[in-house]
Amino acid sequence: MNMINNSQNLWSNIKSKYSIYFVLIVLFVVCWLANENFVSTENIQNISTQISVGTILAFGQTILIICGMLDLSSASVLALAGVLSVSIYKTTGSLTIAFIVAILVGVFCNILNGLMVTKFKTPPFIATLAMMTMARGAALMYTNGQNIYQIDEYTKFGQGQILGMPTPILFMILLLIVTWYLLKHTVFGRSVYAIGGNEEAANASGINVDRIKMRAFIINGIFVGIAGVLFMSRVNGGMPNGAIGYEFKALTAAVIGGTSFSGGIGSASGTLAGAFIVGFLDNIMVLTGVNSYLQQIVRGAIIALAVIYDIWAKTKRVGRKKGNAEG
Amino acid sequence: MKKSLVIALVLTLLVSLLTGCGQNEPAEEPDGSADKDVYKVAYIARAQADSFAAWLANAVIEEAAKYDNIELDVFDGQANDDTENGLIENAITNKYDVIIVQPNNGEAQRPYVEKAVAAGIKVITTNARISGIEGSSSVDADPYLQAKVNCDLAVSQVPQNANVVVLKGPPGNFHADERRTAWQKEFFDKRPDVKIVGEEIANWNKDEAMNYMETWVQANDKIDAIIAMNDNMAAGALEVIKGNAKYKSTLAYGVDGTAEAVLLIKEGLMTSTSLQSAYDLATSILDTTNKLVTGAETEINMDIDCPLITKDNVDEFIEMHKKAGAIQ
Repeated sequence: MNMINNSQNLWSNIKSKYSIYFVLIVLFVVCWLANENFVSTENIQNISTQISVGTILAFGQTILIICGMLDLSSASVLALAGVLSVSIYKTTGSLTIAFIVAILVGVFCNILNGLMVTKFKTPPFIATLAMMTMARGAALMYTNGQNIYQIDEYTKFGQGQILGMPTPILFMILLLIVTWYLLKHTVFGRSVYAIGGNEEAANASGINVDRIKMRAFIINGIFVGIAGVLFMSRVNGGMPNGAIGYEFKALTAAVIGGTSFSGGIGSASGTLAGAFIVGFLDNIMVLTGVNSYLQQIVRGAIIALAVIYDIWAKTKRVGRKKGNAEG
Repeated sequence: MKKSLVIALVLTLLVSLLTGCGQNEPAEEPDGSADKDVYKVAYIARAQADSFAAWLANAVIEEAAKYDNIELDVFDGQANDDTENGLIENAITNKYDVIIVQPNNGEAQRPYVEKAVAAGIKVITTNARISGIEGSSSVDADPYLQAKVNCDLAVSQVPQNANVVVLKGPPGNFHADERRTAWQKEFFDKRPDVKIVGEEIANWNKDEAMNYMETWVQANDKIDAIIAMNDNMAAGALEVIKGNAKYKSTLAYGVDGTAEAVLLIKEGLMTSTSLQSAYDLATSILDTTNKLVTGAETEINMDIDCPLITKDNVDEFIEMHKKAGAIQ
């Protein structure tokens, strides 16, 4: 009797912890059966490359959302960082300087986000909404609304390969590891979960809440800068109106991946799984030629179902307190 | 230290806001007389964030500088019908002599343009025109024709039993729909042997087109032609297959004649496009404006040409973009 109970507990524990990966695996198998071109090295590589920019933004969002915040400005800051980086590359010819500039722009905008949130107590939604408009405006103003072409070597960042692996995927894996490590194995990470779980308690226990929030934004800024370089390099041009809507792609991946908007819960690998769920869906619908209006309906419905299943699986945990999801 | 930095930032912001407002101030002076020296013209752009709309707005500003009797103010409709309609209303209230409207959605702006005409203001609609409003003028390029010149070439170029992919603009957009209709009537109806193996809405965007093309390449052994409703999307699809020997002979058609497209045609990657020249549009818009305010004419409706650009004549269009600084 006891053993049965134990194994039931174990099963429900596994189900709640890994429910989103279960959804991902089921979806993978369905896609496999639906189209013979789905499972091939090239196609999986394509999907991974396509989701990389959005997923890198999503890692930044994951840290912020766990900390009880979010970033609506990430796509606009991506565009600003990207066009400035491309333009610096065109004047200096240096890929290194261009890469650093993108990161600096991302960090600068996110320091402003952080100042608005910590010093002026602006809700992150409003602060980053303001930054979203300002950064997009700055990108358009700087380029006069025109795309920058002929970027030559710059395409190496996003179109290159290292050991047969496309660079955007490598960046995505690297930043997955960075995010996972920061969240699970540093004092910063534990503080992020603590603040998101209960800000006042975190403060009372001696965590410098403002400093941690500022650091979360700065890390997000670095990620956004890197995403900016990859995006512009992939589309072979500096596009001030590029990546519109990517902030929602990033939020979607994080939330499907089990990151809770109420804070304190989430993980880097969950976010990656969330990004792949959307990536698989988009890919299989194009492969099988689903009507493009219907695609939007299906995408929305499956996102809703995935999250409903995930929440259902989690709340079935009996007699256990909600803890941090695994990393 | 940090505080003073923030205060400085906020002040800069406020100052820039105030000067921004100041630019529109002169327009508020009511002046109804007909023989003035300088005419106030409002140019209401669909969206300054849309690269073609921005190109057009920049060209209109440049062209307006050539006229001593025209003072131009540019407004941004932000790709939003409500915003754009509000801007037209403001321009009526501020008694502009001429309002030039680049609609976000012609039917949504129609009643407001009619209101402006009723208020005795000269209105020019452009890219795309709002037709059938008595007393208003228009300057446009014909989107059907823009696609058709490419179709005429494709009808003989695309191989027998070809597999093609189609990249569409946003649904409901006049130019997106008309160009697709032209491809249907002038190409697909004439070539029933051609098979569409993929057709998606990429919203004029290069990155969306890239994603679709990457997937189509997985699902199809051969793709003989890329049919895109604008150059941006054609360029995105070509980005995926460039350097891939398997798709060396893939044809690619677009519309707009952007700097990027002419370079791709020169490289031999893209097959053809048709020019929708913002410079030509701007020249005609300002010429029309001038004729209307001086009373030379009361109503003008015209289309600019949409020349086909192929490898044979691409050099002259590269020159055109070089002069404008878009190509180095």
